[in-house]
Amino acid sequence: MEPNGILIYAQTDDDNRIEPVVKELLTKACSLKEKIWNQRIMACVIGERINYEEMIKELGAYGADEVIIVSDNRLKTYNKTYYSEIFTQIAKNHPPRIILIGATSQGKDIAAYVSTKLETGLTADCTDLDIGEANLLLSTRPTFGGQLTADILCKTFPQMATVQQNIFKAEKIDKTAVAKFDWIDIDKIENKIEVINRVVKKNSSENIANADIIVAGGLGACRDNGFALIHELARKLNASVAGTRVAFEKGYILKSQQVGQSGKIVAPKVYIAVGISGADQQLVGIKNSGKIIVINNDKNAPIFKYADIGIVGDLFKVLPELIKEVDKDKEV
Amino acid sequence: MNIAVFIKQVPDTTDVKWTVNNNIDRTKMDSVINPVDKEAIEAALRIKEQLDAKVTVVTMGPKKAEDVLKEAVAMGVDDAFLLCDSKFAGSDTLATSKVLSASIKELLPDTKLIIFGQSAQDGETGQTGPCVAARLNLPSVGHVSEIVEITEEKITVVSETDKEKITLNVTLPAVLCIYNYVYPPRIPRVCGYVKAQDYNYVTYNMYDINVMDSETGLKGSPTYVSKVFKCNDTRNGMLFDAGETSVSEIYQEIKKVL
Ligand SMILES: Cc1cc2nc3c(=O)[nH]c(=O)nc-3n(C[C@H](O)[C@H](O)[C@H](O)COP(=O)(O)OP(=O)(O)OC[C@H]3O[C@@H](n4cnc5c(N)ncnc54)[C@H](O)[C@@H]3O)c2cc1C
Repeated sequence: MEPNGILIYAQTDDDNRIEPVVKELLTKACSLKEKIWNQRIMACVIGERINYEEMIKELGAYGADEVIIVSDNRLKTYNKTYYSEIFTQIAKNHPPRIILIGATSQGKDIAAYVSTKLETGLTADCTDLDIGEANLLLSTRPTFGGQLTADILCKTFPQMATVQQNIFKAEKIDKTAVAKFDWIDIDKIENKIEVINRVVKKNSSENIANADIIVAGGLGACRDNGFALIHELARKLNASVAGTRVAFEKGYILKSQQVGQSGKIVAPKVYIAVGISGADQQLVGIKNSGKIIVINNDKNAPIFKYADIGIVGDLFKVLPELIKEVDKDKEV
Repeated sequence: MNIAVFIKQVPDTTDVKWTVNNNIDRTKMDSVINPVDKEAIEAALRIKEQLDAKVTVVTMGPKKAEDVLKEAVAMGVDDAFLLCDSKFAGSDTLATSKVLSASIKELLPDTKLIIFGQSAQDGETGQTGPCVAARLNLPSVGHVSEIVEITEEKITVVSETDKEKITLNVTLPAVLCIYNYVYPPRIPRVCGYVKAQDYNYVTYNMYDINVMDSETGLKGSPTYVSKVFKCNDTRNGMLFDAGETSVSEIYQEIKKVL
């Protein structure tokens, strides 16, 4: 079978809602599809569901041509062994040219397994996707040093990529999808992992992916009272606190507060970057922000090219004054 | 019980050198042990303190990757060897996972537990562990924040992400990826360093682990870099010098966007 189409893993949450990243990938898939002749978009849902009609309608509304459904009562909650093997078999039954998966921890599990079983290439945490020479998938991602970006091609099929939430924008289109129910012999899958306890964490205050205003700190703030000032400013602005990977490595923020390629992609109205140099891995995470305000004492820091308002200055002097201004403003 | 820990040497500087194929030229860079891989070693050593276990550390890389093996031996592991072949150079995740899983099959066939760090600082993909597991048909658990219990047959672990915390029973043999900051690595003692200096680090090449030319390195890697470029996006915003303009004046601009 000649590989055809773009297969998307339609991850759902505990309440059977489609994850936002799936809709974003569908929208992107629509634009990729236009560039290659005669392709279809398939979305694969795995789980135990009652209301499929709604699911099919919704996936269709974002661009899916076909919705492939695998349903079994053993699939009620995510199980890595079952889900990975099932998705692999789907990819074998409907060989696609391209597989796109959201870079959630679940998506990454599945992507690694599928690429190994299909002996094909996988590019992780892409920051852009396009169709390049010979109709191949062009996956973009920052390179190690953080000052350069690389376009990556894959010489085997399917070409696989994972993408974080918020990299692409989801757009509804007027379309309907057809359903296909696939039967997979789950009894044949040997499950060696038994879940004995599962605690779902409540969406805590530090959910930066949906924050309106973010104050983020980098290495420059990782000393003395740098992060205390960041927290104070954030409190006054009703903002969330975030940081760079270095700030995470130094223990000033949690992993869930890390912004960037290997953290979260954010899109607040205002992003205030304090003591952050602006490596590409950081910049890809803040590109979609409304306004970016930068405080850095090195006027040559690459982050300034992304600034709507740039302040060249020492954060330990600028932040206390800024906090005072916010206070004054609040009084009147 | 035999435990294998895979570690990676990562470049110590951001001063990157590139090969003509747009791959990072690791021969020209100082390398250190990927920080979370030390925690993987620590996790293995703690199991060794409880059970009768032999811990072997393995890395794939150029000859000088021996340095990171030294550090592992200094920490107290029983054996450490290097997978080194010029044909391995330029391997992507798929090709790397082939080499690593072949080393288990050929050199450490009775391994019960394989431990990785969650991800490498220079790639952050976190795929190598799960890919090796898939290749060996073993169960794998990522984001491991605690090893609760281990017997010869099974291991109980906690896997924690920002969404959930799951406790799992996994049948051995299995693959674990240890999360950052859960097993602070021990500092080697002087006698550890002495042992590491004199240790005989065996090197295995492609033939020793039965890997074919076409399966590894650039040849065996389906993904390749087609182009490297500088991202030239800019926002052309306003720029103030806090030495010249007062923060209160700058704040008038900030206010407009808040
Ligand atoms: C595979 C991979 C994935 C990565 N993923 C991410 C990611 O998701 N997110 C991320 O952020 N990084 C990521 N990185 C790391 C990235 O390459 C950079 O190393 C990192 O973003 C730099 O963090 P920083 O800006 O805090 O530190 P630095 O680059 O050290 O910058 C610190 C800045 O603070 C400024 N400064 C110092 N003192 C002061 C002061 N008193 N007042 C004002 N300014 C001051 C300095 O001028 C400097 O510009 C990744 C790297 C790799 C290889």
